Amino acid sequence: MMRNLFEVRELTKIYRKGGVRANDRICMDVRPGEILGILGPNGAGKSTLIKQMTAMIAPTSGTIRYLGRNVTAEPLEVVRRLSYCAQDPYAITSLTTRDALVYTGRLRGMSPSDARARACALIARLQLEEVAHTRVGRLSGGQVKLVGIAAALVGRVEALILDEPTNALDPAKRRLVWDVIVQRNREEGTTVILVTHNVLEAEGVVDRVAVIDYGRLLGLDSVGRLKDMVDERLRIEVTCTFGRRCVAERALKGMGFVEVLGENRLRLYVDRDRAGRVLDQLVANGEEMACEEYKVIPPSLEDAYFLLGGKERIGHAG
Amino acid sequence: MRDKVSSPVFTEEERVGLRRGVQRLREVWILLSIQFAEVREEWHWIVLMASLFPFTTLLFFRFFVPDPSAEMIQRMVTGNMVFALTIMGVNTMAQEIARQREKGHFTFYASLPISRLSFVLAIFARGFLTCLPSVLILGVLGQLVFGLAFTLNPGIVPVVLLSLLACTALGSIIGFVSPSPATASLMGQLLMMFISFLTPVMVTPEMLPAVLRWIGSIFPTTYIAEALRIVLFQGWTPQVTQNALLLTVYVAIGFYVVARRVDWRVEA
Repeated sequence: MMRNLFEVRELTKIYRKGGVRANDRICMDVRPGEILGILGPNGAGKSTLIKQMTAMIAPTSGTIRYLGRNVTAEPLEVVRRLSYCAQDPYAITSLTTRDALVYTGRLRGMSPSDARARACALIARLQLEEVAHTRVGRLSGGQVKLVGIAAALVGRVEALILDEPTNALDPAKRRLVWDVIVQRNREEGTTVILVTHNVLEAEGVVDRVAVIDYGRLLGLDSVGRLKDMVDERLRIEVTCTFGRRCVAERALKGMGFVEVLGENRLRLYVDRDRAGRVLDQLVANGEEMACEEYKVIPPSLEDAYFLLGGKERIGHAG
Repeated sequence: MRDKVSSPVFTEEERVGLRRGVQRLREVWILLSIQFAEVREEWHWIVLMASLFPFTTLLFFRFFVPDPSAEMIQRMVTGNMVFALTIMGVNTMAQEIARQREKGHFTFYASLPISRLSFVLAIFARGFLTCLPSVLILGVLGQLVFGLAFTLNPGIVPVVLLSLLACTALGSIIGFVSPSPATASLMGQLLMMFISFLTPVMVTPEMLPAVLRWIGSIFPTTYIAEALRIVLFQGWTPQVTQNALLLTVYVAIGFYVVARRVDWRVEA
């Protein structure tokens, strides 16, 4: 049986300032080679969790083991084997992008030639060629973020821990970053731990998801199984004939639970064993039932996230 | 035939130690290079800013103090070198450290497999590089303005080194204990003016009230001014030894405090 990369047990972190309980008895494992997403609203305790996993801060109680090593007892050994990209902007601002990456690689123990080769490859992959010879301090916020991600990727490490890696990036660059992360994971078998509150983006990337809120682990499972948790029922979104929503609502009520979404939009929840029959009925009698269009909505990771506890906080934030 | 397999020169333990030593040296060198790049980027401003204030003060004394004694001139020159040191070593260093701290730069370094000791050494080296040009410039200008001749004593090197490091230590401590860059800037500027004009840096201790003499004894700049003056104009004396020892203590305390305060990963 393969050994877990991280084993987190009863991890609790209470900050001395203010006595905030940022993590509360978290127990979780990270498997080698997987991409694990840590999701949760702002202030949920995600960053605190990974700062403890990367030995940046000490837990108040509980343990974290990295391949059997106690992270708090052997921090340097652990830091050697993983790369952490914090939310803070990249620190080396006086060097050019290329030199900054080479120096970072060298500080990670790489030979000069290896660091140079790796830096050049990353510059090309992250489309930073134009700013390769520009000082990092002169780059835009998004470009600095990309350089920070490249710096995390430059070392040959077993695990990558990325805290909100796509913040401050435009949609094209965000997609590029996800692609690069997945590529690293597939090609080099690097385990990736992603901290994000961007549920929709994370869905296409992660293998498993840990949902955290109020410092607690609310759920940890594969994306598919978390989605299954959301609802056993099929969701069908129906667009009604304008002005005839009541007719449609009456007709659909006999098939399942109906939720009104808007002036001419309804959502129908149907038990999966009856789904086929309901869809047949919609196809056959749609006009009569004042249903112009319908589409089946599969449960998303966002639904799972909301179900597990993110909803209330997001609602307040939003 | 001779047996080619001989006992190793180093034991396994020694080899591991050596490897670790080489690795430390390499990381210190890389960190120094990064810090040097930071200083190199703005060195002309550093030199200009650090030299302008003290040079103006130097000229002020030249024009408005009639017939100064030799000792007074010596105090003015070395005092202004210390003024330059407080601008760069204390004020600028404090602001820079506080700025980097606020931006989370230290977290980046802490996430790399490097030692805290190497990193603090690099911070101190940065301070040293920042201070050195202005001290040298003030020394040269002081000689030109007042027609002085320094004694070329090898003791100048350790005294200048300790002076720069002691001021860097003080600036770094302010940078690390300040809650924000604005506070660091304010503290640095207050100290800069206080140290330069209200402690025995440009004037003799006897010219100051007892309370200021006592406060002055807390700051390394008091000992720097005395050590620089004596070593530059008389050579190495027991008093310089005493000042050098005190400055060494300041540097050691500064190094310890900075190492404790820097945002670093947990340590076993």
